[in-house]
Amino acid sequence: MATVIPWEKGNIFGPKTAMVSKGDVVGRLIKSAKRPLLIVGAKILEDDVGGKPLLNYVIELSKAANIPVVATAHTLKPLVENGLRSPAAMGMVEITDRLRDPSWSLDGKGPHDIVVLAGITYQLQSQMLSTLKNFAAHLKTISLDRYYTPNADWSFPNLDEKSWAQDLDKLIKAIKLKQ
Amino acid sequence: MEKGPYKIKAKGLEGLGLTVKSVDVAIGRLSMEDAFEKLGPTPMPSITSLRDWDMKLLNRYKPFYAPFCDQCCLCTYGKCDLTRGKKGACGIEMHTQQARTVLIACIIGASTHAAHARHLVNHLMNKYGRDYPIDLGHEVNVEMPHARTVLGIRPRTLADLEFICKYVEEQLTHSLAATHTGQEGNYLDFESKVLHVGMLDHVAMEAADVAQIVTYNFPKGDPNAPLAQIGTGVLDLTKPAILSIGHNVADGIEILDYMEKHNLGHPGEKIEVAGLCCTAQDITRYHEGAKIIGPMSHELRFIRSGLADVLVLDEQCINTGALSEAQAVKTPVIAASEKACYGLPNMTEKTVEEIVGALTTFSLPGVLILDPEKAGAVAPLVALRTAPIRNKYGVLPDAATLKKLAQSCSNCGMCRRNCPVNLPVNEAIFAARSGTIDRLVQINERCIGCARCENDCPYHIPVHSLIVGAAENKFRTSKYMLRVGRGPILDTEIRNVGQPIVFGEIPGVVAHVGCSNYPNSGVEVAKMAEAFLKRRYIVLTSGCSAMSIAEYTTENGTSLYEEYPGGFEAGGLVNVGSCVANSHITGACMKIASIFGRRILRGNYEEIADYTLMRIGACGVAWGAMSQKAAAIATGCNRLGIPVILGPQGSKYRRLYLGRREDGKSYEVIDARSGERTQAVAQPEHLIYAAESMEEAMVLTAKLCIRAADTTKGRMIKLLHYTDLSKKIYGRIPEDLPLYIRTEADIPITFKDEVTEFLRNKGWSPTEKPSIDPTLLGRLVYGKEMNR
Repeated sequence: MATVIPWEKGNIFGPKTAMVSKGDVVGRLIKSAKRPLLIVGAKILEDDVGGKPLLNYVIELSKAANIPVVATAHTLKPLVENGLRSPAAMGMVEITDRLRDPSWSLDGKGPHDIVVLAGITYQLQSQMLSTLKNFAAHLKTISLDRYYTPNADWSFPNLDEKSWAQDLDKLIKAIKLKQ
Repeated sequence: MEKGPYKIKAKGLEGLGLTVKSVDVAIGRLSMEDAFEKLGPTPMPSITSLRDWDMKLLNRYKPFYAPFCDQCCLCTYGKCDLTRGKKGACGIEMHTQQARTVLIACIIGASTHAAHARHLVNHLMNKYGRDYPIDLGHEVNVEMPHARTVLGIRPRTLADLEFICKYVEEQLTHSLAATHTGQEGNYLDFESKVLHVGMLDHVAMEAADVAQIVTYNFPKGDPNAPLAQIGTGVLDLTKPAILSIGHNVADGIEILDYMEKHNLGHPGEKIEVAGLCCTAQDITRYHEGAKIIGPMSHELRFIRSGLADVLVLDEQCINTGALSEAQAVKTPVIAASEKACYGLPNMTEKTVEEIVGALTTFSLPGVLILDPEKAGAVAPLVALRTAPIRNKYGVLPDAATLKKLAQSCSNCGMCRRNCPVNLPVNEAIFAARSGTIDRLVQINERCIGCARCENDCPYHIPVHSLIVGAAENKFRTSKYMLRVGRGPILDTEIRNVGQPIVFGEIPGVVAHVGCSNYPNSGVEVAKMAEAFLKRRYIVLTSGCSAMSIAEYTTENGTSLYEEYPGGFEAGGLVNVGSCVANSHITGACMKIASIFGRRILRGNYEEIADYTLMRIGACGVAWGAMSQKAAAIATGCNRLGIPVILGPQGSKYRRLYLGRREDGKSYEVIDARSGERTQAVAQPEHLIYAAESMEEAMVLTAKLCIRAADTTKGRMIKLLHYTDLSKKIYGRIPEDLPLYIRTEADIPITFKDEVTEFLRNKGWSPTEKPSIDPTLLGRLVYGKEMNR
């Protein structure tokens, strides 16, 4: 596998770096998770994916995978206004803090196994994934942003918007695919 | 260090033909103090004296680590990979290594302020004498609350400030020693030392600021301190201009004094004198005719504009490329600090004429002058002589040049990938190829001014210059007003607002402080400040944040400083001054404990911190915190019981202190009247936190002003703001609201029906025995207390 340089080029942490993934692979990973969690951040209100708001993608993903959502920053209100039912709301730091605890989960029904992140401000996401990488070995993490994020377990490579849209489409298609 | 008081008593001594009966001898600095207050238990604390207090805090607010690097590279065993529980060759593991790194960062920050204080105090003792009095005016009797609380002394002269410096220096040396390989090995003990260093930082800052206030006659807590001009367009370009960058005002003052003495007029009369970063704040405290260019983010752009005819670099937060940047626009440089020599020849022993000659013939790009008086003489003369030669030569491109430079852009995106805040710079530059500069203008609004975008451009496009050049009109015309830093909070102000703050009727004291590494733009700081001013919080500010607040125009077309009073009062906007003036913000909390709460300050840090944590609804917001100094300042707030909110970049400090509201046990308090233990959950919830967006920070600010000892009326008012902000931003009543409602009387009237229904659905029930006199200190239970 070719080396991928982090999106922010100096953002090099150490020996353990994210596996570069494609949309369909990530889709299958999410689909196979027993207790996934989707965390979405402020950039879902700003980023477009090939002309479509990232906000719409995460709502579609949540519904397709029946995956609970944690709305960080100030995303709760627009998510609800756009039809997402009952997202939880916590700060990105607060949810990361709790995810370190192997016994914790959003609904109290057993620990999460895969955490998917989308639209978290890049630098904050990188730091919070560093926490999870080092102190939450029970979790696997996936970044859905178009920036290669070395602290995740799986990350897209650095993508342009068009390729990103294609990967996200493949991801949702893979989730919707009946086995 | 001989702190004393050590007492020797002898009932009878005989010898050398002398007989003495009943001798008492007291040794040490504390024995020299008159009994202005009873002495508390921890005067001049060592690095472990307040360890118990730290552990109480760290039990509530557990360290949360976000490693910025998975390796340790500090010794020749390494690099050691510490990922996921691996240990380094010395035995250290990740938690401990992170805590150690935070300690090193905070020591860098605190020692910078301590060295700043030491330089100023030495310089001022030489100039004004060791016995120069500490006089902050008749409305400031509690003159240096940090010195009183931490050291147990009441400073009266500059020599007393030197004593404070010695204490801080000694403690910093011990703290730094703890970071050596094979020393401290527990992360909580590292954190205790971090908290100690944070406390020392405020002591050092107080000494530095008080030294300059009393000797230079800066405003002494004046709520009506004058307004000064700020902005990149404030200079009269027909006049020579001196630009000072940094934090140590000694050289800037000497420049102004020299001009006055040699018929060069006040600043702005014949020569423009301006500053960038905190030194700018401080020269306007000396003379409001001096001008402020702006926060650190404006540094490179202003040097490149070529509007400065001489550049004076003192210390701290200088772009280390300033010399080469200045060379590019033919601006001579005077480096004036031992800590920042920039490879320049030391010309301190040369005559003024020789130095001026070297600089004005451009035979040297710059010089090092370690005598502030000499630097003060050289700078105006150089400005006068180079101005006609330089003719304000700059390198910011005009529209035609900008378009030409942009032609080589291939939209590869390297500039964006090297931007610390991920701005879409490449798209803006690429668009400029066809002359469309709107996107560059938008980038300019959010740019933090580091120019990292240029470093990775394969075509060597001066990206930052293009960004600024596109916004040339704004650059040339930006003029705003800032209220000059007023220094300490007056005792009389504390008497007026101490009760409403402690009772919660003034909903909070919010301090916007820190650097300009903003996630979006400095406008967010101003918007947050404005929102809380409208809600009648007391808003304090300092340093670069104070400048960012000034660079915002309200709906009425003025600055917030012109719209809101400068007093420490509900709805007051208080600019205390430069970085070192941050000590007056924490000092105000100590003064509330002393003047309103009647707590003893002297050598009584733990109790004062406990008072602040339980009673004073203060919250710091360091939205663009960048430096190690900001880390130390924030940690000093934390040890005193003041929560701090950082911007998202603040997560790179590697460590936060977080509470968990579901862990009620960790928020246990003792009721000082009954001795019973009870829970005051999440009051306040966190001690240091990184928020992702301005909106999140605003809701959290209101929440972190909640205190365990709020009165019913006060709690109701605080919850009104918390609920209102939460509804506006999140669209709902906060889920954790039941935690804060002790009885129905706490419910905010405005939302009474809605909240009552919400509580019913949540199964809320009143707190059985809410404590009205909460503390974390068992010794303060009535009958046990020592110091009330």
